[in-house]
Amino acid sequence: MLRSCVCLRSDGGSSSGGKRRSSSVEDASSCRSSEIERVGASMQTLGPNGQPHSAAGQTTTRASSLLQLFQRKGWCKHFRKPLRGMSASRAEKTIRAAILIQKWYRRHQAHREMKKRCNWQIFQNLEYASEQDQAELYKFFNDLIKHMPQAAGTKNQHHSSSITSVLEERDEILEEVGDVVRTKMELPLKKSHVEFLIDVFRKKRGNRLQPQLVAMILREAAKSLKQMPNIVMVSTAVSLQVTVCGDLHGKLDDLLVVLHKNGLPSASNPYVFNGDFVDRGKKGLEVLLLLLSLYLAFPNAVFLNRGNHEDSIMNARYGFIREVEGKYPRNHKRLLRLIDEVYRWLPLGSVLNNRVLIVHGGFSDSTSLDLIKSIDRGKYVSILRPPITDGEPLDKTEWQQIFDIMWSDPQAAQGCVPNTLRGAGCWFGPDTTELFLKRHRLSYVIRSHECKPNGHEFMHDNKVITIFSASNYYAMGSNKGAYMRLNNQLNPYFVQYISAASQTKKLSFRQRMGMVESSALKELAVRLREHRDELETEFRKYDPDDTGLISISKWCFVMEEITKLGLPWRLLRDRLAPGTDNQKVNYLTTLDLLDTDVILEAEADGTTVMDALYANKASLEAIFNIIDADNSGEITLDEFETAIDLLVAHMPGAYSKEEMLEKCRMMDLNGDGKVDLNEFLEAFRLSDMHRKQQQEADMRKRTATRSSVNQPHSESVAELANAISKNTLVIEQDIDPTDCEAKVIDPK
Amino acid sequence: MDLDLNNDMEKRISDAFCVFDHHGDKFIDVREVGTVLRLLGCVPTEQEVNEVISATESEETSGEVHLTKFLPHVTQLLMERKMEPAPPEKILQAFKILDPENKGYLTKETFGKLMMEEGEPFTQEEMDEMWPVAIDPISGHLPYELYLNQLMVYL
Repeated sequence: MLRSCVCLRSDGGSSSGGKRRSSSVEDASSCRSSEIERVGASMQTLGPNGQPHSAAGQTTTRASSLLQLFQRKGWCKHFRKPLRGMSASRAEKTIRAAILIQKWYRRHQAHREMKKRCNWQIFQNLEYASEQDQAELYKFFNDLIKHMPQAAGTKNQHHSSSITSVLEERDEILEEVGDVVRTKMELPLKKSHVEFLIDVFRKKRGNRLQPQLVAMILREAAKSLKQMPNIVMVSTAVSLQVTVCGDLHGKLDDLLVVLHKNGLPSASNPYVFNGDFVDRGKKGLEVLLLLLSLYLAFPNAVFLNRGNHEDSIMNARYGFIREVEGKYPRNHKRLLRLIDEVYRWLPLGSVLNNRVLIVHGGFSDSTSLDLIKSIDRGKYVSILRPPITDGEPLDKTEWQQIFDIMWSDPQAAQGCVPNTLRGAGCWFGPDTTELFLKRHRLSYVIRSHECKPNGHEFMHDNKVITIFSASNYYAMGSNKGAYMRLNNQLNPYFVQYISAASQTKKLSFRQRMGMVESSALKELAVRLREHRDELETEFRKYDPDDTGLISISKWCFVMEEITKLGLPWRLLRDRLAPGTDNQKVNYLTTLDLLDTDVILEAEADGTTVMDALYANKASLEAIFNIIDADNSGEITLDEFETAIDLLVAHMPGAYSKEEMLEKCRMMDLNGDGKVDLNEFLEAFRLSDMHRKQQQEADMRKRTATRSSVNQPHSESVAELANAISKNTLVIEQDIDPTDCEAKVIDPK
Repeated sequence: MDLDLNNDMEKRISDAFCVFDHHGDKFIDVREVGTVLRLLGCVPTEQEVNEVISATESEETSGEVHLTKFLPHVTQLLMERKMEPAPPEKILQAFKILDPENKGYLTKETFGKLMMEEGEPFTQEEMDEMWPVAIDPISGHLPYELYLNQLMVYL
């Protein structure tokens, strides 16, 4: 644990809220350095546990320790005299030297801490900024529904009563090209099947299961989950213990570490998995399938809660859709539909021994478990889209309730305020927690949703525990993962781990820091690329003489103006404008960095226009359905114009009002004053395609310009790009769950 | 000219401060004050850090410091050039004082004992953090000049 721990705003493990943990900061009254100056005085120092030595005993203690020090070194003999009134001497010089070294070292540590904090902030702000977009759309829909008097939620192609027919359909599964693992796997699933799956999934190659099997597991799991209540009651009466895991985000290696260290589930070894199984990590599908198999093979021993990433809209943005498309190109549509079924039937939370609530995000001051228990959760295929109501009026408070438990975060300050970082849900304070626990007669709450450096964190006087099980979440070495073990009294201890530990262990500490920092820079640079031209325009505005230089303040100002990421740009300056001096910033190096191969490749690898298209299509369909209140399959342009203002307000930068109106007119292809769904989608798709073409043209132009001018990257930029490339190279191997560094943390 | 300098300095202070401001409400935890000072180039002793905390801690919310109090106090400190870093030669000298036989290294035992018992002692955690980088894995000793150079380069 670092002295100035990154886990701030926590009330500490064993100590009461607000108490400082660091022993050297604790005793502000002891005047150490100044007392040293007083030669010969009873030199008061703090012992290693921060307690001041008593005056009587301490001179002897200190003297004897110094004595031993010098004796061992065979120094000056006359120090064997009893030390009273020790004059300015070697002893004092030593102390001075010690203090100098200590404060120099602490300064060094502070810089290291700063870099860690900076990197963390980059990752988090980038992550939340993306979430904000999604939350914006959620709010848009909320508004839209409020303003459309006859708004009646969304419809699916089928009516809700026949939604479940998706599960009954024996949709034709096609053969995939390439290697698949075939095996006879019959229901009901058993332990041997699970072991088989683990063995297949952990391989680097030959790890793709036959699509028919995938469909079978998804289908069976969805059917079974449907029988579960919204809040599942879990008891440790038989097992006398329970294990709780947090976010996994496609980190199969972490899940395997947990199963390896903690054993497969059984009646005596039950597990609760608290959501966010997919997205971001590369093995989301394997994690999901393994969890569902565990659930099917060990009924009543595995409990799955839904997280905010068990949501196709999130999956479109955060990589899971792309993962499924990549792994099953011929079947991904069918499989994703089945996955949607799993999502909508996942329970929303669990309660242990009637005392401890486990939900993914948290709660708000209006959360009511009774209300949540009464909801028909199957309506919420995506939590970010209005529920399917089949023509019935929408209950907006119900939707809010679900949102709150999936998206909220605890805060140190009192009160319950809207979560502006995420864009939805709330920040709930210790007072909110207290009331909530009292109202529902609970002891404490376990939640996940936030990455923590140590895989877990206590807050609100230990009444809110965050558990996060994806190690190396942001980058290799960025954080530990953890799982919780609770005994029959529901007292917890934690097991903390890092997967693929040997990969980080053999690196020097500098290399490890370098990896996290490089990953952060790479992600940030990719994000900055989205605004590359805007940045250039703004920079040039402040450089009328075309010197390539602007002041530091201006550079920071532009960066924040354009990206709105809320990052400490001043501290990042030497990274994002490499080779720049202390007075001015050469902004051309910033732009140059964004044009390096490593960043261009990372951009191509990341979310593409196609992903955005997918997400947009779903949104647009939903919008259409809301506006089409009479379910006629058509909307009038007037009806649509009402929605435009809202759309523009909620998706700034997506389309301007004029563009939207233009679309309206364009949409009505046959000029009859009405637009059907196809025309609607076509209009947007056209313009999105147009956008993509535009983007590609820009890219071509830029590469052409650079190579034609034959301008190589500046040395410092090339050096940095090289470092980033080297540090972020990931070598994939078969997963070895024993290759972890695990440690037990007992809060007592 | 002077005004520009102040503004730039205030921006520096504000930026460093805001790295640890998690909710955007311009409050930081008192435990971070030392780190922020060090980010700004100061090398304070623990006592000096405590003094800044006492001077800037919020009266309404204890355990927290608001930027409005922090900024003027620290601006003053920086302008007075208090808590300036010692040049590397001085640090090397300090190490050499602990090595009167001029062996070129310190043993883990003696150095650890000194660091954890004298001056402004390290906590066990601080000590544990230092070892992996400071100790030469083969000899088990602390080759201080090499160590110093390593850290200097990194910074």
